Amino acid sequence: MKITIERGQLLKVLTHVQSVVERRNTIPILSNVKFEAPDGQLSLNATDMDIEIVETVDADVAAPGSTTAPAHTMFDIVRKLPEGAQIELDCTGDDGQLTLTSGRSRFSLTCLPTEDFPVMADGDMPHSFSVSAGDLRTLIDRTRFAISTEETRYYLNGIYLHESERDGVAVLRAVATDGHRLASVELPLPDGAAGMPGVIVPRKTVAELRKLIDETESETGVQVALSDTKIRFTFDGAVLSSKLIDGTFPDYDRVIPAGNDKSMVVDCRTFADAVDRVSAISSEKSRAVKLAVSKGNLVLSANSPENDSATEELPIGYESSDIEIGFNSRYLLDITQQIDGESATFMMADAASPTLVQDPEDTSALYVLMPMRV
Amino acid sequence: MTIRILGPNLINQIAAGEVVERPASAVKELVENSIDADARRIDIVVTDGGRVALSVADDGHGMDAGDLALAVQRHATSKLPGDDLENIHTLGFRGEALPSIGSVARLTVTSRTADADSAWKINVEGGAVSGPEPAAHPPGTRVEVRDLFYATPARLKFLKAPQTERNHVVDAVRRLAMAHPGIAFSLSEGERQILKLPPAQGDLLSARLDRLDAIMGNDFGANALPIEAAREGIKLTGHIGLPTLNRGNAQMQFLFVNGRPVRDKLLQGAVRAAYRDFLAHDRHPLLALFLEIPPQAVDVNSHPAKTEVRFRDPGLVRGLIVGALKHALAEAGHRASTTVGSAALGAMRPADMPRTGFLPRQPAGSGVPPSMAGNTALAGNTALAETAHGFHRPLDQADHGSHVTTPSAPEAAYQADDDGHYPLGAARAQLHETYIVAQTDEGIVIVDQHAAHERLVYEDMKKALAGGGIQRQALLIPEVVELDEAAAERILARTQELTELGLAVEAFGTGAVVVRETPALLGEIDAAGLIRDLADDLAEYDTTLSLESRLADVCSTMACHGSVRAGRRLNAPEMNALLRQMEATPHSGQCNHGRPTYVELRLADIERLFGRR
Ligand SMILES: Nc1ncnc2c1ncn2[C@@H]1O[C@H](COP(=O)(O)OP(=O)(O)O)[C@@H](O)[C@H]1O
Ligand SMILES: [Mg+2]
Repeated sequence: MKITIERGQLLKVLTHVQSVVERRNTIPILSNVKFEAPDGQLSLNATDMDIEIVETVDADVAAPGSTTAPAHTMFDIVRKLPEGAQIELDCTGDDGQLTLTSGRSRFSLTCLPTEDFPVMADGDMPHSFSVSAGDLRTLIDRTRFAISTEETRYYLNGIYLHESERDGVAVLRAVATDGHRLASVELPLPDGAAGMPGVIVPRKTVAELRKLIDETESETGVQVALSDTKIRFTFDGAVLSSKLIDGTFPDYDRVIPAGNDKSMVVDCRTFADAVDRVSAISSEKSRAVKLAVSKGNLVLSANSPENDSATEELPIGYESSDIEIGFNSRYLLDITQQIDGESATFMMADAASPTLVQDPEDTSALYVLMPMRV
Repeated sequence: MTIRILGPNLINQIAAGEVVERPASAVKELVENSIDADARRIDIVVTDGGRVALSVADDGHGMDAGDLALAVQRHATSKLPGDDLENIHTLGFRGEALPSIGSVARLTVTSRTADADSAWKINVEGGAVSGPEPAAHPPGTRVEVRDLFYATPARLKFLKAPQTERNHVVDAVRRLAMAHPGIAFSLSEGERQILKLPPAQGDLLSARLDRLDAIMGNDFGANALPIEAAREGIKLTGHIGLPTLNRGNAQMQFLFVNGRPVRDKLLQGAVRAAYRDFLAHDRHPLLALFLEIPPQAVDVNSHPAKTEVRFRDPGLVRGLIVGALKHALAEAGHRASTTVGSAALGAMRPADMPRTGFLPRQPAGSGVPPSMAGNTALAGNTALAETAHGFHRPLDQADHGSHVTTPSAPEAAYQADDDGHYPLGAARAQLHETYIVAQTDEGIVIVDQHAAHERLVYEDMKKALAGGGIQRQALLIPEVVELDEAAAERILARTQELTELGLAVEAFGTGAVVVRETPALLGEIDAAGLIRDLADDLAEYDTTLSLESRLADVCSTMACHGSVRAGRRLNAPEMNALLRQMEATPHSGQCNHGRPTYVELRLADIERLFGRR
């Protein structure tokens, strides 16, 4: 294989593929990225055995062929080359090395045989549909913060993507929870998605996916194909395939409160800023803030273990009987950040039961938050 | 099916399976017999780790021919005169050891009583007795065991390498020797003397400390705290090491019940609980504890090898140990082990220092040739010497340090009020923005400012937590944890206590509990794992250790981040404030990871450094 490519082009694809490659690998070839150059194109492929990414760019191919080389090293080199540089990759020599030449720089990297590079068997993907990159971004961003990091509950370590319905309308819904809070957002069910199985997309896949979305126009369609065990996202020039989490997502519907009748409407930004300020009193990781809610008035307060305290009052819309309830301030901030509209509605029952938070303007997303007992 | 009564030799072999497991257990039984016979010295010799031969000789009261014949018979003992199993004051009482050993090995017992003028000897080989016959031997008894397990090849196969067997023998002898400091012990293998312990003199406590020091090494004697406590007729004595004297395993932790070395999980748990705040969980203190319990309150008969005991009230014993240890550690307060100090001293003493470097009787600061300034060990030494020199001269006259850099010398404005009357002294300098050097009445103290401050913050935080209660995060999806019934009951019996620690649990059918709230401090946790750990803790140690220590862990991580980092320059009032806080805070001698927060060098040590002593 012998090709020439512009630095920026190569850097962009390397950035994506190298982030799939784990830093520490017991299987040497998994540290490598596979280069394949048929005619006029270069495709890069990297995998950690759970996720695979293949990206294709135009390149000037002098001699078609393929090889594999260390992903992080390649990335590091290309990143440090000057902008606009032309890079030549050549592995036509018989010393088993890949030579990278650019201007006066020359690197020789040890290759491993392409045949040893693991191929992720795609298998049959019976369900496929298209969503716009913008919609996909919404599904991810509104839920991602609630993904669990606790590995023993592996089935919560991802976003649960599934078909559902609301008020008789079929929807595609994404849900994530860490057991303390839950986030749910939905879109009208895309054509072709009907009958799809509910799948749990792992956190790392979500992160890689999000990077690809960032470089895609909102309106551009992303092709999603899936089976019970795998999912594949096809972008313009990039394909991300991933195994799914093999587990059962809990029956989350039951924890979404339906009968909470104490409704508080706050100005979202004012509220978030006040929470942020009040919680500054405590250096603890779990900063509790107490909400004392009465007609038209909210008093936020917090204490530190050293007995420092803070309070702030703000006007709210509230007509029910008084209630005091505590929350983890970070959770409150996470949720208010997801709300684009001006106000947020808190539907509460009591100090021990889940509270429902929504943007009154946009009911496609909802958040459930468990109180803290203070 | 035909039932038959087993022959006596078979019975002995079966008993041997329980009493004599390996050479070390034979040694243990024989040494116990010698102790019971009031021996003043006991000499043990093993060959090939005891696999080929072992012998125990004592100068105890011995046996006459008639006793000898009886001694090798099953259930023959002189130690249960009143037929009262509840009142055992000797180590032996089952009358099983000699016949058991005789049934599986070649046994020779030679003995002479003090008033007899000749000795007798009896032989047992695979259960067959020959003798007694006259023999030559000084007063006392000598028991020889050859070819252990030759008669039971199946057991022979389970013996480990000589090295391993020897280690077990050493361990057994050590334990018995600790419990009987007045008796001289020796243990050798061939030419090699493995242990030689002279009889320790003085009252029991000081004799014991000598013996412990001889066995544990590591300067245990100088770094041990005495323990003395009693509760409801149970007496606890012994010595425990300062936390800064620690090691990677718990092998140097010994428990004795009525003079009998025992192994009991209770000890481990109690020690862990008492030292929790001072040591990382993979470090272990050195200690030996002696319980005296009325024979009625403990059952030593639960296992033939008598290394396990059963306390009537384990909670009481555990409470007594934890309480006494915590108390002693709290008393020791900010005392760090001198081992640390002398280790530091050793490190500072330049190893390959030319002899001419130190001219005896020269003033400390000038004894160092400038040519040596490149040597870092020496540079440290010199800086210290400067400080040490300050003892003899007021600070403002200490102008002799011009050829050495003394970073961050205290501002002239700072006058050491009450100079040296505080245990940790008056701050004199900060070195490398990391260490505070202070002058005390008796020497100097070097404080690791980060470690010290971290400890202070941690102690504060713990107090605050304990005062304000622990906040609980309610779970959206309560977690059901399947346990066995007994474990679930143990957890549920403690719900009140667990709630105070931030964990709300409820019953969920039989054999399961449901977790509704977890300590907010811990963030997202594996609640099921925590509950299982707790159930184990409760079974083993009767406390909620796992949870408390996780909370303490978080506190200390946070303490670590909220502390004065190494590398921050402190002015004199700041340094002194830190020293005063350390004095006022219990346990400030170690940081949360068990490392010392300061070391102390006595004036005498410093003088020794300079050859003045
Ligand atoms: N070293 C010894 N010196 C004096 N008497 C001994 C010695 N070893 C054993 N004996 C006598 O032999 C008896 C049997 O010993 P042993 O089989 O170990 O049973 P136990 O120690 O349980 O009584 C002892 O009770 C004691 O009277
Ligand atoms: Mg005995």
